[in-house]
Amino acid sequence: MTPFVFPRWANKTVHIAGAVMGIAPLYLIGLVWYGLSPKTLDVGYAPQQPIPYSHALHAGELGIDCRYCHSTVEEAGTAALPSTETCMNCHARVKVNSPKLAPLRESWAKGTPVEWVKVHDLPDYVYFNHSAHVRRGIGCVSCHGRIDQMPVVYQHEPLSMSWCLDCHREPEKNLRPVSEITNMAWHPVSSSEGWQLRKMHHINPSTDCSTCHR
Amino acid sequence: MSSVKDKSTPPLYWRSLEERARDPELLERLRHEFADRDPGEPSSQDRRRFMQVMGASLAFGAATGCRWQEDKLMPFTRTPEGMVPGVPSYYNTAMELNGHSVGLRVKSYDGRPIKIEGNPLHKDSQGAASAIAQAAILELYDPDRSRTPMQVQGGQAAPTSLAEFKKFARKHFSEVMSQRGEGLRVLTTRTSSPSFKDMKARFGALFPLAKWMEYEPVSDVNARAGSVLAFGSVHRAHYAFDKAKVILSLDADFLGIEPNSVSHSRLFASTRVPESETMSRLYAVESALSITGCSADHRLPLRSELIKAFTAALDYQVSQRLAPPAGLGVAQPMPAAPFLADAEVKKFFDALVKDLVANAGSSVVVAGCSQPAEVHALVHRLNAVLGNVPNTVSYTQLDSTDTRTDEQLMQQLADEIKAGRVSTVLCLDTNPVYNAPGSADFKSLLAKVKTTVHIGRYFDETARLSSFHAPLCHFLETWSDGLSWDGGVTLVQPLIAPLHESICPLEFLASVIRDSETTSLGIVRRTHREVIRDDRTWRAAVHDGAIPGTEAKRVTPELRAFGVFGFAVNELGEMNVGNGKLEISLALDSHLHDGRFANNGWLMECPDPVTKLTWDNAVLVNPGTAKELGIQNGALVEVSVAERHITVPALLSPGQAKGSLRLALGYGRTSAGVVAGNINAAEDARADSVGVNAFALRGPGLWHFGSGATVKNSGKSFPLATTQDKHGIDPIGQKGTEDRLPLIVRETTFEKYKEEPDFAKHKVHHPPLLSLWEEPVQYDGHRWGMSVDLNKCTGCGACVIACQAENNIPVVGKDRVMMGREMQWMRIDRYFSGDSDTPKVSNQPVMCQQCEHAPCEQVCPVGATQHNHEGLNDMTYNRCIGTRYCSNNCPYKVRRFNYFNFHEDMKQERNQVKGMVFNPEVTVRSRGVMEKCTYCVQRINLVKIDARNNQRDLVDGEIQTACQQTCPTGAIVFGDLNDKSSHVAQLQGRPRSYALLEELNIRPRTQYLAQVRNPNPELG
Repeated sequence: MTPFVFPRWANKTVHIAGAVMGIAPLYLIGLVWYGLSPKTLDVGYAPQQPIPYSHALHAGELGIDCRYCHSTVEEAGTAALPSTETCMNCHARVKVNSPKLAPLRESWAKGTPVEWVKVHDLPDYVYFNHSAHVRRGIGCVSCHGRIDQMPVVYQHEPLSMSWCLDCHREPEKNLRPVSEITNMAWHPVSSSEGWQLRKMHHINPSTDCSTCHR
Repeated sequence: MSSVKDKSTPPLYWRSLEERARDPELLERLRHEFADRDPGEPSSQDRRRFMQVMGASLAFGAATGCRWQEDKLMPFTRTPEGMVPGVPSYYNTAMELNGHSVGLRVKSYDGRPIKIEGNPLHKDSQGAASAIAQAAILELYDPDRSRTPMQVQGGQAAPTSLAEFKKFARKHFSEVMSQRGEGLRVLTTRTSSPSFKDMKARFGALFPLAKWMEYEPVSDVNARAGSVLAFGSVHRAHYAFDKAKVILSLDADFLGIEPNSVSHSRLFASTRVPESETMSRLYAVESALSITGCSADHRLPLRSELIKAFTAALDYQVSQRLAPPAGLGVAQPMPAAPFLADAEVKKFFDALVKDLVANAGSSVVVAGCSQPAEVHALVHRLNAVLGNVPNTVSYTQLDSTDTRTDEQLMQQLADEIKAGRVSTVLCLDTNPVYNAPGSADFKSLLAKVKTTVHIGRYFDETARLSSFHAPLCHFLETWSDGLSWDGGVTLVQPLIAPLHESICPLEFLASVIRDSETTSLGIVRRTHREVIRDDRTWRAAVHDGAIPGTEAKRVTPELRAFGVFGFAVNELGEMNVGNGKLEISLALDSHLHDGRFANNGWLMECPDPVTKLTWDNAVLVNPGTAKELGIQNGALVEVSVAERHITVPALLSPGQAKGSLRLALGYGRTSAGVVAGNINAAEDARADSVGVNAFALRGPGLWHFGSGATVKNSGKSFPLATTQDKHGIDPIGQKGTEDRLPLIVRETTFEKYKEEPDFAKHKVHHPPLLSLWEEPVQYDGHRWGMSVDLNKCTGCGACVIACQAENNIPVVGKDRVMMGREMQWMRIDRYFSGDSDTPKVSNQPVMCQQCEHAPCEQVCPVGATQHNHEGLNDMTYNRCIGTRYCSNNCPYKVRRFNYFNFHEDMKQERNQVKGMVFNPEVTVRSRGVMEKCTYCVQRINLVKIDARNNQRDLVDGEIQTACQQTCPTGAIVFGDLNDKSSHVAQLQGRPRSYALLEELNIRPRTQYLAQVRNPNPELG
């Protein structure tokens, strides 16, 4: 009985297997790295909201200032969502019968809140303070993107820790005059403007752990 | 080092008797920093089970996508004016306990009260709050609180609705009203509330035959009766401890469990500043070591029953020397008591008389609530003879003339029930089945009453035996009022609508009497309509939490001569008594009070200031007496007094008077909740009783204290969870501890201090310290630091609760406390020195010292604890992987590890309400994470952000840590060390300021101000 001999072509499989074993871990690491990064997972998150509210229409087309609705952004850690009353300031007269606004009218009539879905959701162990940023000249657009062009709000930035730290290390890249914080289309006149603002206002953000974690 | 080599001499400082005796078992236990595997730990999970759980979690993860739970944002429909979501608001209110209302300030976060502090505008509080008052926030969200009315029919309790209860009450009480209140007895707690008083009067008009009884297991009725003896009318004494040079406490724990202790602590501490010209001297004569006794310069352990003769002797001797004016009458003759001839007592007594006489006019003598009326009368006389009135002792008149003791009250009720004259008992916020004296057997008495209505916060022991129970609202859920210590009106405003279907006491009374005012607010406003007419004044009063100008006038009542008091045989006894004649005293627990706060986990786990005992009560015995009786620490003993017995563990307590036993009330609850015990509840809420009910011993001859107790050792032992031997600063074993303790608590006497103010700096001698790091380390911005004044700290534990409330610290339970796994970030180390009969006590609060060269930071493999630019040791929970290396390397042992997810139970629906107490500014930690004091970094950050937003500089004192904020004596001061004018920088610059373990060159930011006692040179 002749012993079994692998055919000659089988030699190639050794090379192929070697190559696969070499590349596969790298591929897997890359896949997990990229696939699980906040850039992939969180950017673009756009949940369906109870009312198809369009920032593109209100903030963009109509030009309502962000702070008309998010009124506490300059004084509190949270940029409060507008109360139903704020919406009704206009919608008591405008689009009174729109079916899209039915949940709003229901809220107004019953006194129950409109249950919005949180888009920019930081982990519970992160303490971000809106007022601390807005009052120093970090514009809304830096973290939220061009909200004024979004019919449906989605997460524009990864909101990861490294992303936060990038700006805490080089705030000049995102600094603007405090008067322009809600101006989505603002651009610095010169590349050194951020630096000048940083120097002028003594903006030296801390990268200590307790700045955000406590 | 000599103390270690020489085994026969006990160590200078010791934390427990075992340590003093160098018990080998204890030494072995101390060697292990982390106790062995917890038998209750879910260690039985085998590998397969683990894989199943993991598999399920992975599947779950995949199914829900890789995003965490969707969060909802729910804005207001109409935002209330001035409301900024996410920014806390503060409201002033008050809590009444035992007829004394103390102002509180409550922090409310988006409409949810989360933390109680003292009201800085209130005289009795001035920003400070007791541990009990602060822990009331936990009670508000206690899942065990009664939630629905219950109707008992045929022994079975069935939930019913509030409407049903109201219907029943209306029908039942109108029937009773038609009989003019015949057979109705109303049992409530003692209250000072003017609105309650008003309602009581209205009630009395409609139910003239009914009787209203205000019962407290421990009240100030003896003091009232004493004042009637001395003055002929009821007066309250006010002590200006801040002006006193010599203070004598006669069984009075005025810094601890006695009323108004927060204010008294502040006044007392203000005289304990060695940097000033003078310091007060405190003498304490007491049976059990109390907080006041711990702070005393001289303490005489004396059985409570002997204090009457001691006071009479004092009165006689002082009168002999001062020759008081004839108007004050003649002193009692010197009692012929053998104990007064005891050498130690005589020495103490003579020195005390001399000191009191020398400081006549600026001394204070104060008697405890437990002492009989005669002692109080004698004390009034003593203060008058010493000329302390009105300089250090002043009086206000109380309008109550009722001096019936609580014992008489209960006896009367029992007699009436037995005689069948009672058909309805209304228990309003009282629990007589639990806290009535054991001899009364209230349980069977109540069965004789046709209708019992119980309104209380818990479905408690009394509720179980009542025909109808309705939940009572918490004081943070209703309007009310009360009187501060000086008689000024304090207002109580609600912070939140009632969480459960509950009734407010004033509204219930209004419905019973068919009052035209039906709301609590309306009733309170009506009560004060004479003083406050317009809304504007009312709003100002509510804002401040008090009505200004309502305090009682200070008067100097005329002392009248009272007869000579007789003495019972035991009141003139020897220094020691044998078994069968032992004295036993029953006192309020330092934290649970009379048991009404027993189901509060924070209070239950807060170590007793003196015994450091948690989760139990134990009968305290003098170590010498224990030897005579043949009992050891933790021995289960049967204590009998006049045919009444209880079995309770014994705890040998240094400083306890010979022949005297002490037992705390408030334990042994059978129907409270999962913390204190609920033996009849349904499966998910059942819990064994914690401790032993000491009320069972009460009866004729034993209210506060009594003699004739017998102790029998059962031969069994019972594990007690004390924290005193835990977290020892212990670098090289017990020997190291012994050597170091005198360096850790540094103390001297006032006389020596004046000669060498910087004595604390010269206690440690070490070679020049070399640094492992590049020096100097610069801190350009803020440099946070803390100063703790050991001379002011009384060890009360208010800071521990403040820290627990502020930082979402879990309660771990008795088993884990026994393993040293308690989670409180602050501990108050209590060290004894001297002999075990009359030990001196030093208290030292220890929390993270925020070292500049922190040993914890260097050993963390994942960088979860890091140094920040202001010098704090930041702790990043989300990075921590739980190696516990940091805790190993911490020389102060201030780090705490989460062995479990202590909030796991919140997944159950009934427990979800617990989540409302969390401070949203602080991460709620989970299992496997190390945590520690952060100097309340959340408070630092919020104030910094606010200052920066408003482009202003930080003001010294603006940032207060939670412990500092609530400290009644101001012992803790926090601030910026870079600001040379800051309070903390100045305190750290004082000569007696020292750092713990400075020889390690780890540069802690917290420093301690050494203790300076002020002993009488004659007593040494």
